[in-house]
Amino acid sequence: MEPRSLVRPAVAVALVAFAFLFIPSIFSLYYVNAWTQVAIWSIVTLGLGVLVGRVGMVSLGQGAVLAMGAWVAARILFATGLPYPVVLLASGLITMVLGTLVGLPALRMSGLYLALITLMLAGAITIVLQNIQFPNGGHGFTGYNGATVHIPPIRRPSIATTDPAFFRYSVIVAVLMFVLVLVHLRGRPGRAWAAIRQSEAAALAGGINTTLYKLWAFALASFITGVAGGLVAGFYHYLNSLTFATSDSITLLAVVLMGGAYSMTGAVVAAFLLKFLQQLLNDWGVSPDWLTILFGIGVLQVLTTAPRGIVEQMPKDIARLARLVRGLFSRPASPQEHES
Amino acid sequence: MPSTTDLEQFLITGLSLGGVYALSGVGMVVLYRATGVLYLAFGAVGAMGALISWQLSHQDGWNIWLSFVAAILFGGLITLVYGMIFGPALAGRDPLVKATATLGLLLILLGVMDLLWPSSGGASRALTIPTDNNTFQVGQISVTYTNVIALALGLLITIVTAAFLRFTKLGTAMRAMANDREITAALGVPVRRVEAAAWFGCGVLSGAAGVLLADLVALDSTSLTFLVIFTLAAALIARLRSIVVTFFAALVIGVIDAEITPINKISNYRDMTPFVLAVIALLVLNRRRVITVGRQGV
Repeated sequence: MEPRSLVRPAVAVALVAFAFLFIPSIFSLYYVNAWTQVAIWSIVTLGLGVLVGRVGMVSLGQGAVLAMGAWVAARILFATGLPYPVVLLASGLITMVLGTLVGLPALRMSGLYLALITLMLAGAITIVLQNIQFPNGGHGFTGYNGATVHIPPIRRPSIATTDPAFFRYSVIVAVLMFVLVLVHLRGRPGRAWAAIRQSEAAALAGGINTTLYKLWAFALASFITGVAGGLVAGFYHYLNSLTFATSDSITLLAVVLMGGAYSMTGAVVAAFLLKFLQQLLNDWGVSPDWLTILFGIGVLQVLTTAPRGIVEQMPKDIARLARLVRGLFSRPASPQEHES
Repeated sequence: MPSTTDLEQFLITGLSLGGVYALSGVGMVVLYRATGVLYLAFGAVGAMGALISWQLSHQDGWNIWLSFVAAILFGGLITLVYGMIFGPALAGRDPLVKATATLGLLLILLGVMDLLWPSSGGASRALTIPTDNNTFQVGQISVTYTNVIALALGLLITIVTAAFLRFTKLGTAMRAMANDREITAALGVPVRRVEAAAWFGCGVLSGAAGVLLADLVALDSTSLTFLVIFTLAAALIARLRSIVVTFFAALVIGVIDAEITPINKISNYRDMTPFVLAVIALLVLNRRRVITVGRQGV
């Protein structure tokens, strides 16, 4: 391997290690929890990023898929004493099956239809969850008993009951999910997805089973989102239908586009925008509606001028700014470079 | 089982809601055909229009009808402005990108609405069209004039739009653009102006739909924004093509959704109707699939 190609992974590993080791001691508990959310939601944005950036499929229902994962995990956690990793795996797998089933009819059609169907799916899942409620320790299939007091909290892993420990636990799970996705991207599926994104007709002509690989991407995204749902259940301790709104799915897509759907760093940036900024504004007493407006503007800006998102745009902008500053101090100005 | 009177009463509700979904669907399909943009912010624009109308009539003492006009104009103008800025900017892009961009507008409007008219902690708002109080009886069922207006408007818009596309110069230009934007432009059709007309028309319809739905359903920014799902389902069943199919699909969705209301067991799940019907439609319509290699991929 070229030494250059090792730099970026090394930086990534160092950053994650730094976060893992020091965030709990640097930040107050409030912000440790904010970082936990960033870790958890980076899995969700990664899943959506794979769909949008790698395969070119837009899902407007990932928020609903996350809610589904959280529901399944909460139900299993109340019903059994299974170790947490097993529960995460199970919620991932069940969510994968459910998510793929619902996406199935649209997968064979063009992207616009998938977007529409998943948007409707988000609405439909919101309705179902409002009616069957989230498990609160009751019995039966739904695990909901209508109690409003003495609700037992959803348990966390025994090794990660405190907030800092749960942060580290979430980081480990997130890293595992990133590795899982990376393995996919480096292997056969990644190449097939790249071909499909370029041209579905060409991919088909090249002998790629496009439906299988699109389904695969959808299944992978649903799986990791389901795992993230399992973390969400433990993180909040209590869930209700207000935890997940239909508009969350749209905000998710917005931050994924803003962060950069084409890179894995973009997923972390997206989760940071979504969750850390939210907690920051909350701490400052600023209405979260401003964030919604910002995301809206961000989507329009990204789609019209910077299709690759912040992770690729920022270095370019900084370089441009540096040139501008240099130009101010050194006259006569250097010949203008042409930058697209 | 629900009584026949129940079913008939809910048929009225369903038909009037279906009428509104129909006029929304026609607006969306025409805009999609003319510009390639699926306007997902349709519901949000309508919601904001309805809230503006409420603000003007209930807080600032405007005449209620005048406030409706304001809502409709707001819908038309904001849609036109969006279309004029982002239509050309995204003209050559994939339909999926164009549709996603409208989600940006949706989010902005959602945020602004929540800032200006917070939904939590505030008293619930209601927008009532005066025709709600004028009722007449058909058998044992009472029908308000608002119901009549909703259905009639849906029907009228569908017929007028169909005739407009068929017989007027502007309509022909829109149909030509739906086929091929570049060739149409080469033939000397003022593409920008035709697009502007489509944007404005669609926006006006979103304003009207917002006011009607605020009365028939609820004046709430989130629910009105996502009522666009019902319209989308109708448009999708029509494969974003035929406005006549959109009209009937919208009526069916409205009626089924309403008729489930008195059936206790699934009443709470009735709003899944658009999803279920759209999935069924996709499965049936999906028999023959073509992967288009050319630029007219839909």
